[in-house]
Amino acid sequence: MNIRSQVSMVFHLDKCIGCHTCSIACKNVWTDRKGAEYMWWNNVETKPGTGYPTKWEDQDQYHGGWEKKGDRPINIRSTGKARVVPNIFHNPYMPSMDDYYEPWTYDYQNLFNAKEGADQPIAKPISMITGEDIKVEAGPNWDDDLGGSPIYAANDPNLEGLTEEQRLQLSSVERLVFFYLPRICNHCLNPCCVASCPSGALYKRGEDGIVLIDQKRCRAWRSCVAACPYKKTYFNWFTGKSEKCILCYPRLETGQAPACFHSCVGRIRYLGVLLYDADRIEEVANLPDDQLVEGQRSLILNPFDPEIIRKAQSAGIPDGVIESAQRSPVYKFVMEWKLALPPHIEYRTLPMLFYVPPMSPVMADVNGDLANHAMDGLFHSIDAARVPMQYLANLLGAGNEGAVRYALGKQLAVRWHRRAETVGDIDRATADRYLREANCTIEEADEIYRLTSLCTFEDRFVIPPMYREQAIEMIREPHEQKAETGFGFVGGPRRGL
Amino acid sequence: MRTKRFTPRAIFSLRKPKSPTPLCMVVLPGRVGLASSVAAATPVKFGLRLVRVCVCAVLWVATAASSLGQDTPDYFRQNCMSCHTIGGGRLTGPDLKDVTKRKDREWLTKFLLNPRGVIDSGDPYAKKLFEEARNVPMPTPPGITADRAAKLLDLIEAESKLETSQFKGAQVSTEPFTDQDRAKGRAIYLGTQRLGAGGTACISCHSMCDVPALGGGLLGPDLTNVYERLKGRAPLSAWLVAPGTETMQPIFKNHPLSSEEINSLVAYFESTTAQPPADSSGGQVTFLLSGLAGAVFGVFFLDSLWRRRFYSVRRTLVEANTGRGRS
Repeated sequence: MNIRSQVSMVFHLDKCIGCHTCSIACKNVWTDRKGAEYMWWNNVETKPGTGYPTKWEDQDQYHGGWEKKGDRPINIRSTGKARVVPNIFHNPYMPSMDDYYEPWTYDYQNLFNAKEGADQPIAKPISMITGEDIKVEAGPNWDDDLGGSPIYAANDPNLEGLTEEQRLQLSSVERLVFFYLPRICNHCLNPCCVASCPSGALYKRGEDGIVLIDQKRCRAWRSCVAACPYKKTYFNWFTGKSEKCILCYPRLETGQAPACFHSCVGRIRYLGVLLYDADRIEEVANLPDDQLVEGQRSLILNPFDPEIIRKAQSAGIPDGVIESAQRSPVYKFVMEWKLALPPHIEYRTLPMLFYVPPMSPVMADVNGDLANHAMDGLFHSIDAARVPMQYLANLLGAGNEGAVRYALGKQLAVRWHRRAETVGDIDRATADRYLREANCTIEEADEIYRLTSLCTFEDRFVIPPMYREQAIEMIREPHEQKAETGFGFVGGPRRGL
Repeated sequence: MRTKRFTPRAIFSLRKPKSPTPLCMVVLPGRVGLASSVAAATPVKFGLRLVRVCVCAVLWVATAASSLGQDTPDYFRQNCMSCHTIGGGRLTGPDLKDVTKRKDREWLTKFLLNPRGVIDSGDPYAKKLFEEARNVPMPTPPGITADRAAKLLDLIEAESKLETSQFKGAQVSTEPFTDQDRAKGRAIYLGTQRLGAGGTACISCHSMCDVPALGGGLLGPDLTNVYERLKGRAPLSAWLVAPGTETMQPIFKNHPLSSEEINSLVAYFESTTAQPPADSSGGQVTFLLSGLAGAVFGVFFLDSLWRRRFYSVRRTLVEANTGRGRS
């Protein structure tokens, strides 16, 4: 057993209001630079929808992630030893800027400088890449709030396996639905981007699992861009280096939550440490699709188990981190309550960002001009929800409904329970029945309720002590590091070697 | 000594400098290479270097001297003997015995340095030679200089005085050619039978009347009538012993033809005499057309090979769902 710690995340989709504050916070801090205009390390997508870059989930086109063929061990789908040489000058599965979008601004000066005329002056859109006028045709959230859009929502790769009727429902009035999916780098346990890099520029930090790109080592191969199935590494066309979400590690190291977490209006984001067994990653990544969710959970270790604590200590994990892992909200959501699920684990990168599946409005019948929201009782059954179960299963359960159904059922049970507690118009027996069906105790339901609805800053972000002074020992002598702090030059990344 | 960058670390960690005694470094054999720039200033090392330079110079002079004596005959053998003999009779070019008596050295030197130029200048004697050689011009000898020309003339003069010159030329068999010879010669020409010494097959550079278009190279002349042009069996055989043109010489210098191979080739060349040469203009059109066809085939082949390659996702998606192309 090789115990390591990972800073992991939970996004509670039921709370996301799709305000994009996280995206803007990230953009302002990290990617408001030349060459990075088109990058959104954090973006928010409307689902069903094709996302950013367009149809990133369609791996038949993008060839991202790992591929398992038969009994053979998993392989990177976009590249490989034999494929590197024939594609040495051109990586074939690279999204173009058009698949992201061409970033633009507006000619605001025209509003002030335009000659007097019959019409109001306007601010024309101007490409941030070429400086020329552009016709805006796409954006990072182009299908924002467009449930049922015939181009984008109708071509969501997650609709696979849905019946024709279900698909039609998704675009009909009073039945269509959408929810939001905020996305950042998943800081995976089995990162395909790291595995694909020919220069060895990508690495996963041993002490906290954050996946980073060394800007000095990056040689612009862009293998990571093609390999990441979530399309969360981006190529900076100005510096000639690839970039990605760094989980705001400079903020984490100083005890602050990452910018997108900190700014989240809906307080949907949770951050905490998980302990995992690094020796079993390969074994789990090779499991069949329907065992992947459970397999990944089996990698995550119980931080309260004295045996695990002892082994973690001997593996060099500081007590402060173990203590932080015991308070981790992520551990509760993923392991104790099993509410949070990894996105598209069938890509086999074992993402360490988990999503709590969203509850959705009840289906309605349209009768003439009247929409009848069919409802037996106060809360509708999860199977009557507008988002088909199969859709969520494709997104969060590798196509299998079981884990999604469990998570939604438990959320529903918590609502029944709290309604009985706070309003009292539901009798206790009904609430208890729902709790029993959802495999949930009253204590657990109360705890879920508190961490979902009444959570404070400290509840949501249990940032472990980073012990940089110890982590740096792996690379250099701490006294030397200390003595040199402030010396030298910090240069921006430059094109070339 | 390697330069050390003065990072703060380097400043603070500078150790006590080692004693830079050069003598010590020379005495320790392992250190000499490392400290050469320092050691070069010492008298001992300087002496060693001087000795080394002297040895090199002596060796160089010795090598150069030994090559001087053999240089001119070798040059004659490689560049002249394919067309000329000394006392062996006429081949493609005239017998050079006593050539210095027939014409003055100044003219001969001028001719040697630029044969084509002298022929084109309308010099009557050069013109006569050109006609005697059936309009085969003498190629400019590779690497000829005035100095070398003088040495060549010296050699010819000396050899002319001998009873039997070493450059009398090969004795060519007079037995009639058989069909077998001709078939073997054609095989050698086509390259289906490899040359013993690994030389290039004739077809790489030459065309021939009975080989279809694209069958022969265009670098060298058509060989259909070569037997007649070079005046028959003996001159052609002599030419093939050591081809004298700038193109052929380097190819066959180290891969000479054997006398059997020469005999077969000459038999083949004899059989094609008096036939019209291959039509190269048709070959060029065929070549162009087949090149175009190959390119078109290549484009479609590669396109089908990569038919599943990655196209634009967003634009394809939008165009497919709106039923309109991009404006």
